[in-house]
Amino acid sequence: MRAHPAEYKLVAPGTLTAVLSLLARDPGVWLPIAGGTDVMVQYSAGKLPARKLVSIWNLPELRRIEVSADEVRIGAGCTYTDLREHEIVNSEFALLTSAASWTGGIANQNRGTIGGNIVNASPAADSLPALLVYDAELLLVSAQGERRVPYANFHIDYRKTRLAPGELVRAVCLQKQFSGYYAHARKAGARNAQAIAKVCLAALGRMAEGAVEDIRLAMGSVAPVPIRLIETERIVKGKQIDPQLIQLAKTSAAAEVRPIDDIRSTPRYRAAVAGNLVAEFLEHLGARGSRNENGKDVLARWNELPSLEAAQNILPCCGSKAWARGMADRRPIFDGAALLAACDEIWKSLRESDWLEAFRSHPRIGESRSPASAPAQSAAWSGGEQQKVAAAGEDVKVALNEGNRAYEQRFKRIFIVCAAGKSAPEILEILQRRLQNDEKTELHEAAEQQRQIAHLRLKKWLSS
Amino acid sequence: MNESSEQRAKCEISFTVNGKLQTVHAYPMERLLDVLRHELGLTGTKEGCGEGECGSCSVLIDGLLVNSCLIPILQASGAKIVTIEGLATDGRLQFLQQSFLECGGAQCGICTPGMILAAYHLLSKKPQPTLEEIREGLSGNLCRCTGYMQIVEAVAEAARLGAVR
Repeated sequence: MRAHPAEYKLVAPGTLTAVLSLLARDPGVWLPIAGGTDVMVQYSAGKLPARKLVSIWNLPELRRIEVSADEVRIGAGCTYTDLREHEIVNSEFALLTSAASWTGGIANQNRGTIGGNIVNASPAADSLPALLVYDAELLLVSAQGERRVPYANFHIDYRKTRLAPGELVRAVCLQKQFSGYYAHARKAGARNAQAIAKVCLAALGRMAEGAVEDIRLAMGSVAPVPIRLIETERIVKGKQIDPQLIQLAKTSAAAEVRPIDDIRSTPRYRAAVAGNLVAEFLEHLGARGSRNENGKDVLARWNELPSLEAAQNILPCCGSKAWARGMADRRPIFDGAALLAACDEIWKSLRESDWLEAFRSHPRIGESRSPASAPAQSAAWSGGEQQKVAAAGEDVKVALNEGNRAYEQRFKRIFIVCAAGKSAPEILEILQRRLQNDEKTELHEAAEQQRQIAHLRLKKWLSS
Repeated sequence: MNESSEQRAKCEISFTVNGKLQTVHAYPMERLLDVLRHELGLTGTKEGCGEGECGSCSVLIDGLLVNSCLIPILQASGAKIVTIEGLATDGRLQFLQQSFLECGGAQCGICTPGMILAAYHLLSKKPQPTLEEIREGLSGNLCRCTGYMQIVEAVAEAARLGAVR
């Protein structure tokens, strides 16, 4: 039976605070609706028990992706499209981007939200295995305040979560600790587009000295909630990948899942596919292990270069020649972590004039043209980092332009911000705040931003 | 106001459709699809599955492709909506419409408005898509006549002509 709209109430208070106080007033009565890709389906089919709905769609407080040195905090109201278009989410949490790209079609990705996917709590939800392997934490909020809980304990049973009445998911918090891992995602569905998974896998693995140093496997659609394959992980960890290990892992994964029989598949099929997906991942991981493991190939080649060439080679990551020379002098460097540590140490030890030289290698925020002296690779990276600014509305661009001018007049250099993943309005806000800084504070803030840019670029450089 | 009358209250909601400001008197949970078709008489937007699977009801809201069967009208308040009726100007078909016509990209016609809007959205983001990108851009739109080859070809042709500038 079709629902009749007259029987439902929908309000849109417009701010998070107002929504929370409404939820607190009658706990459990109001059903939050964001992009509607789940709620409206139930509603149209006449299967929505709630009669009162409160819109949380596009609340600015829930639509931000905040990036700090160690963490990425994704607002629960961010859509799959937001995730797919965010450079840092793409580079640090590729499994989440993959999941976003195969959730529904483009129209659903423009409306469906990560928070909605979490509270809808379907065992087949595409993004949830990724949250498991990344050890995501959820920031929950109610009128009483906030609390942070591991996502792994949040789903307690089929479509049941620990969300209290009156509470919303505010954000998903992800630690940037998996950048050296090989990420692999796979979904088996009836067809490529718009399918609900029969089985889906999110996997991370890291090789060291020919063996699996760490492995994290999570699956959807194979149990009442998305699960980690702890036993299979235990079997694989520390071992060399060979056909025997792959067979063991395959058998273990097939035994570890607890699939149901439903419209989409049978338990037997799902268990067999679960085993196959794990086997496929291990084959890829094994093949990769012998190649550029955590950027080791790139570093090995770089370690062998003559000093001048080595400096030239790494200069696009941070445009100070003294920094590049310092990095070249630190060789040999054998892994990504050591490279980033060397970067920070050298950067901190430089003189102000060296910092300024690095700043000058960037184009103005909102301008695509890099200085003629900047290396081509640096210019190309700038384009990618400023992607979101390029897509901004004309009014924001004009305001940025004015802000740039005011900044340059005040500090006599261009405004430096780690733009990757930041939208134009966010950057404008940062620019306006930093215009209030005194000279010394501002110089250090700019230097810190430059350090973050260098980290991002070094990671790209390592995987080149 | 008592609870039941409050629950049944219609409200005034304004938005623009194809550049024209519209104000409707509707229940907030009415679907955008129904408001477009029944209140505004814009029947180019079709209902297929009614659950976000088929893309027949695709429209653009603030430049983004959405399924209008999944949007409660209250959430369209203040939005800029474009439907298939908004693409042609002064009786002249938009490039994409023309290329669908020329490549035989329409059979029974139910999916066509949604297909064209999905293609429009794709080309506005990626003016020169690869074949793979065209398929992905249209993957949320089902053609019950299965005339996909001609549809994909029509989009590729429109991209060649620089349909969306």
